[in-house]
Amino acid sequence: MRRQPPQLATWMLEHLTTRHRDDALAGDLLEVFRMGRSNGWYWRQVLATCVLSWAASLRARVPLLVFALMWSMAAPAWMLFIIRLAGLPPVLIGLVVWTILNSSFLCAGILVYRFSLKSFGQVIDRRNLRHAMWSAPLIFLPSLFTTFVLMNLYSYPGFSVARFATTPLSQIADLRMPADALRIPYVFALLCALWGAVPRSLRSLQQLTVEPSAIDDSSRSDSSGLVYELDPFTLRRFLGLMVGAGLINAMIIGFLLCRLPDSHAPAFASLLMRAIIYVALGALAGAGGTWLYWRSPASPFRAHAPIPFPLFALVCASGWVWVPSMVMFYEQISAASAFVAMIGAFVLTSGLRSAAFPAFASGQPRPSVPEMADGELFAESLYRPPIEAHGYVIALSLYAAGAALLTRLNYTAAALLAFSASVFAWKRSMPQRTSDETGNQYRQATLRLALIVIPAVLVTIWALLDGVAYRNRVAELNAALAAGNGAATNDNANQKSRPKASTLGFGGYESLILWPFPEKKQLLPPIPMEDSLLAPGTTRPLIIRFNGPYQYIQPPDRVPGPAAHQAHATPLAVDVQSNDFIPIMMDAHQSLSASVRIARCRKIEVEIANGDNRVGTVSLGVLLTDETSSQKRSVDLGRQPIISTEPGNFSIKSAPVFEKLHFAVPANARIRKFNAITVVFIPDIKHEFVAPKIAVQQFQLFAR
Amino acid sequence: MLLLAVIHLGDEAYGVTITQQLEAYRGRGVAVGSVYAALERLENKNLVESSLGDPTPERGGKAKRYFRITKEGLSQVHETRRVLTRLWKTIPESMLEVQQEN
Repeated sequence: MRRQPPQLATWMLEHLTTRHRDDALAGDLLEVFRMGRSNGWYWRQVLATCVLSWAASLRARVPLLVFALMWSMAAPAWMLFIIRLAGLPPVLIGLVVWTILNSSFLCAGILVYRFSLKSFGQVIDRRNLRHAMWSAPLIFLPSLFTTFVLMNLYSYPGFSVARFATTPLSQIADLRMPADALRIPYVFALLCALWGAVPRSLRSLQQLTVEPSAIDDSSRSDSSGLVYELDPFTLRRFLGLMVGAGLINAMIIGFLLCRLPDSHAPAFASLLMRAIIYVALGALAGAGGTWLYWRSPASPFRAHAPIPFPLFALVCASGWVWVPSMVMFYEQISAASAFVAMIGAFVLTSGLRSAAFPAFASGQPRPSVPEMADGELFAESLYRPPIEAHGYVIALSLYAAGAALLTRLNYTAAALLAFSASVFAWKRSMPQRTSDETGNQYRQATLRLALIVIPAVLVTIWALLDGVAYRNRVAELNAALAAGNGAATNDNANQKSRPKASTLGFGGYESLILWPFPEKKQLLPPIPMEDSLLAPGTTRPLIIRFNGPYQYIQPPDRVPGPAAHQAHATPLAVDVQSNDFIPIMMDAHQSLSASVRIARCRKIEVEIANGDNRVGTVSLGVLLTDETSSQKRSVDLGRQPIISTEPGNFSIKSAPVFEKLHFAVPANARIRKFNAITVVFIPDIKHEFVAPKIAVQQFQLFAR
Repeated sequence: MLLLAVIHLGDEAYGVTITQQLEAYRGRGVAVGSVYAALERLENKNLVESSLGDPTPERGGKAKRYFRITKEGLSQVHETRRVLTRLWKTIPESMLEVQQEN
């Protein structure tokens, strides 16, 4: 009777290895086993085969793994966008919109993956692509639910997520646990959906002529080699169009996305990260914009590309990476924008000149020095240089750029300097003798881009630093103007002790503190304990007039920063709104001169004055804090909607409406006494960017 | 080493024999799975080619996959030998003696 190997091991060999081309390996193992090897040997062989097969499988999918991780980095920002968008319709419609938008995000990721692979000469079968497109949303929903349940169990009773979301960029750069947990289902869905779609190289597909339908017509025309059938004029015209399209796209992205850091003294690491992201965005946006025109049916490059598109994108990216810094300098009205534009234009044009030189070789001779006969006496003096019109054009452009700089027309100066640098680079730079092999050209272009990215990142950091300094200068100017007009206060003592105001945007503030007017009588509630109505045996309520500050802050800050702008005013009389699309949080803080025992207080009544004429419900939350304890523990008394802001009771008010809200105090709380009352204003989405014009009048504390 | 084993075995080069040959060269055990993984890589580089044999009962009805070296593989082996020989000759004898003494 023949020996049989362990059945479980055989099953594992058949089912847990991923790259079984045939049964030869299983047959070999069985043959050696029957020669007298032990069960242990068989197990070791099977386990080694499983590990090797999975390692090979993972190695083949490294690009997918990297892409899934990178794409999912944007998931929190996308979720923020969905929450803002889907927060308006009813729940059911919101859920449908939410699902559709998330599916779109995943499908967009799959398409981006497919096109990025195509740029590297690899392709995914259409059948696999379709399968990935419909399976990704199906995988995503259960994986999101599972992640949600597991993460809530892990961090029971739930993550302490900030009340409002922040900017998209900060969401992308957020690497904390909640953001990472949110990314997990996206990574998982993309990996599962695309796992079976292993890319294959276009060359191998064409050699084997396997499944012609798997390769679309466009990809064949891309890889059809270098065909130069275009006349130099058409070639130059369309090359200019492509470069211009990429440049405009990079500038649009620069103006839309390149923002200064929120902090007034940003750390170098955050600046570096921001600069790298901006430089990458500039290059990607340029490549994306060019690709649209390159693949357009009207483009002659679709059929007869002078150079492959990925090579063109790599070469031009060395110019596009300068666009974000140029845009930021331009926004600061800095002359540096013109010089950065000049550098970018020179680098781009000289690179393009080298890469596209073979295409122009037939129509345009290589620049060369004039030939002279050997030994000719005084040959140099007899040589007459040719008239070069472009030299005059460059000179005129430089003069005009100088004049534009003197009159602070930076954009005109940037355009003129970039133009003159481009003409100079095109006419005078010597095309390098590049290898005919496309692989070598790619390597050279990649190396060149890598070397150029470093100074581009450094210049972008400089632009960011300069921008922060410029913003702070504008803030100081605004503060000085405000002080000069006497708008805020005339209290000199307070003026001296007040920290410098700082801005987030032009004319705005990082955070804001409103104090009661100084002429108001200062009260130190509650009254001394011996007179307190909350003292043992008393039942009359204790009335505390509100005389604390109102704080306006923006996430991720939780308290006003040291540079918060301070003024004396009431919320009823000021308009506070966000000018950077970051929500505003508002609260009112009342400190007490002595602590009140929780056990003696049954209820707190908050009287407010509502002068808000914006539609939308605002709720109040009350926190009691013991600031004498080291941990500054608080008790949340819950939230109550302000009746006069609810849709049924809302009316346009010419004078404030007074209203009282009641908050029950639990007898058994985490703290035994409190000496601070914080009223948090919780707005709906319509009040997200505008602070409500509601003021706290007084508190009434009822004895138990 | 794998290519040399395939050349040495000729028409009898399949998973089991190649593994045994490698074990003999190295003096220790070799995983059959790793041999197949390496052979697949060589096949992708057109250094070896393979074909299926007939299924046999002692192998549970599973066929053998026979490997042969290609022209490219053979020239690669020669090139490697040339380079190794040249490098080997550049090492002074005295240095090798010192190494051996240590």
